[in-house]
Amino acid sequence: MTREEIFDGVNEIFRDVFDDEEITVGEDTTAEDIEDWDSLEHINLIVAIEKKFNIKFTMGEVTGMKNVGEMVTIISERAK
Amino acid sequence: MNHYSYKDIYVGQEEKFCVEITEDSMAAFCKLSGDENPLHVDSDYAKSKGYQGKVVYGMLMASYLSTLAGMYIPGKYSLIHSVEIKFHKPVYVENGDRLLIRGKVVDKNDLFRLLIVKVTIENGQGVKVCKGKMQIGVIDEE
Repeated sequence: MTREEIFDGVNEIFRDVFDDEEITVGEDTTAEDIEDWDSLEHINLIVAIEKKFNIKFTMGEVTGMKNVGEMVTIISERAK
Repeated sequence: MNHYSYKDIYVGQEEKFCVEITEDSMAAFCKLSGDENPLHVDSDYAKSKGYQGKVVYGMLMASYLSTLAGMYIPGKYSLIHSVEIKFHKPVYVENGDRLLIRGKVVDKNDLFRLLIVKVTIENGQGVKVCKGKMQIGVIDEE
């Protein structure tokens, strides 16, 4: 799976979780850029991503991700 | 009150209980919420709009989902994260209907100690009047 394909899947999840078709996330996107991205929605994002890509994050990864780019990197390593 | 810990709970587990909607519970909810909409407090008005009588507050029924989580599944260690619910059919207080509130665990997320619970509420005739989904966290029991 290419990085671009992962971003497509991640974007789909963000749009679904935040109920906003306008959202497009990139490498540097953080919770600061999306108004409703709070701790509850973070859980929803992680749960949806785990399900879509059939992976499991660790708690360290979940709390340590600095931006969406790091999230995509973890997915690309785990979803091989 | 149940005391299920996260590890005790399994996908497929189901809990259920019955409640009776009474004039008293309707009046208490009216006072608590401040919702005096005539559909809920005036039988004649409700009938004039095509209903059999006063329509039970949807949110009164939904309040029993708090009971489902806080008392039954998981019980003591519950922390509700979200509730999605649809009200499919009206419920009437005049019928003295007993409602069956049912929850079934359909998924667990170990990382967040989170339960996904499908919920249904049936009236006394076994008709589903509400359906929904809850995300319920299970806090540490220690």
